[in-house]
Amino acid sequence: MIPRPETGSAARALLLLLLFLLAAGPLLLLLLLSFGEGWFWPALLPAEFSGSAWGSLASGASGTRLLRAALNSLLLGLSTGLLASLLALPLGRQLARLTGWRRMVGSAAAFLPVAAPPVTLGVGLNYTFLVSGLGGSFIGVLLAHLIPALGYTCLFFMGYFEVYDDRLDEAALTLGASRAQLFRPVTLPLLRRPLLEAALLGFLISWAQVPLTLLIGQGLVSTLPLELLSYVNAGQDRFAAAGAIILTLPALLTLAVAGLAIKRTGAVVA
Amino acid sequence: MSGTSRLELRLVAVRFGREAGLSAISLAVAPGETVAIVGTSGAGKSSLLRAIAGLDPVAGGSVVIEGVDRSSAPPEARGAVYLHQTPLLFPHLSVAENIAFPLRVRRVDAMAIAKRVDEVLEKLRLGSLRDRDPATLSGGQRHRVALARAIAGRPPVLLLDEPLTGLDPATRAETLEAIRSALADYDPATLYVTHDLAEAGSIADRIGVLLAAEIQQIDTPVNLFEQPASAAVAEFVGFSNRITGESDGSTFRAGLWEIPLQTDFTGRAVLLFRPQSLYVEDAGELTGEVLSVAHSPQGPRLRVKVQGVELDATASRSGMTERGDARFRLDNPGLRIFAEL
Repeated sequence: MIPRPETGSAARALLLLLLFLLAAGPLLLLLLLSFGEGWFWPALLPAEFSGSAWGSLASGASGTRLLRAALNSLLLGLSTGLLASLLALPLGRQLARLTGWRRMVGSAAAFLPVAAPPVTLGVGLNYTFLVSGLGGSFIGVLLAHLIPALGYTCLFFMGYFEVYDDRLDEAALTLGASRAQLFRPVTLPLLRRPLLEAALLGFLISWAQVPLTLLIGQGLVSTLPLELLSYVNAGQDRFAAAGAIILTLPALLTLAVAGLAIKRTGAVVA
Repeated sequence: MSGTSRLELRLVAVRFGREAGLSAISLAVAPGETVAIVGTSGAGKSSLLRAIAGLDPVAGGSVVIEGVDRSSAPPEARGAVYLHQTPLLFPHLSVAENIAFPLRVRRVDAMAIAKRVDEVLEKLRLGSLRDRDPATLSGGQRHRVALARAIAGRPPVLLLDEPLTGLDPATRAETLEAIRSALADYDPATLYVTHDLAEAGSIADRIGVLLAAEIQQIDTPVNLFEQPASAAVAEFVGFSNRITGESDGSTFRAGLWEIPLQTDFTGRAVLLFRPQSLYVEDAGELTGEVLSVAHSPQGPRLRVKVQGVELDATASRSGMTERGDARFRLDNPGLRIFAEL
């Protein structure tokens, strides 16, 4: 065995610390900002700490508005995640089976909503949605969120099914399971983890979506990112920081759930 | 034959994608009988099994299982379990649940399932692994569980696709023993695909040689290994030395070679023999030269040039394994002669 040089492990530790700071630094700053009072340049830390910003956010009219926006975001995220994963599952499976030019066209179709900037998508959809009466409605915003989410989840499932071992299905068939019987005892349990991951991906895409909500919702559909944006525009940094932390929590929770799911269902085909 | 056979292939044709593939494969396997199909890589052995299992279409002929033509039946209605080369266990089910799978999908009642699973676990010495996750099993254990699952539903036909390929010697022995136990559990008709003749000889009642898209010979291991029906089969089963010459019905001649051999034909002929039939011996009647020596667990294998022809030979008991001039003996009983086609 070749001994590793000390400098290598020190550099690795330094790199890990840097990565941690890059990830945790902004969050720490937000926490300080949301709880801090009288924090003026060049002070390193706020003069004092209080939960007043959090209290104001949670009470009164702003609390109600924020709660409604959070509920809207949650409902949009969950619906987008669920619908995108369910629709992308068969689409991704078909895409993975395509060959030649059909595969190229299929992949390009899935990649387009991912590659196109959300603002471009929003501007493109705006007129159609207005004409069809979907502009300014919850359903309209949901459909708009679905477009990029479907692109991502289709590509996700396409990659999954490219390495999916069809021979497990074959084994089940020759053991006596019909195609209809195959789904519940074999396919579904194997798809549980990718379905969960795709749903979480769709949720996150919707949860953080601003341009599409703004353009299609026309200010009539309030979401957490839009509320946060309004605090930033109004110069209410402490409220914006508290809102940003609330916005980050589901993402962290999603990461934790995904990590747990991978641990629990990480069994490989024997 | 169809009256007693559990699996019967009647002129079965299988395509390899767009290519012609196998044509007119006919064979019958009786209950409790194991027929090994051997052939070179790409000969279509696995394709044949997949077509019998219903995983790939049959392009012609019929697959008859228990007297019923099942050529167009879906895989689950054929009664033929196909065991992949790699044991594919359902990763979300425990060992016992994997074994119970074929019974569950047939909606066998829970008591009967539990009883049969216990039987099979005991038969294949898997009792201690009953609740284990497949991902935690060793290679040999996975093979045993896959076998246990295959026989749990007592399918009339078992199709084993190179089950020992890629296994280390210890796991091979363990798996081979498990296969014997599984086949002894009831009387399935078993088709066993392999490219290893020794493996086929150790497990099969009969061996079919699949070459050039056809079964060239199907016979007991002893007959196949000792009396190959054609030059192609002979070469496949290890008669690797080939000399082309002429036969006048009583003598084979090729260059410096002149061997008394009775044949029922005259004209162009191919003489074939195993390396073991030609060996170095000081008092041997043939002169030649040892070109190279390769050592193996079975003993030294020599590349020699005898009377102008390069051949494979073995060392004599005296252990001559050096390069250079030598004398050789050729065992007449080991010679096979065929008319050149």
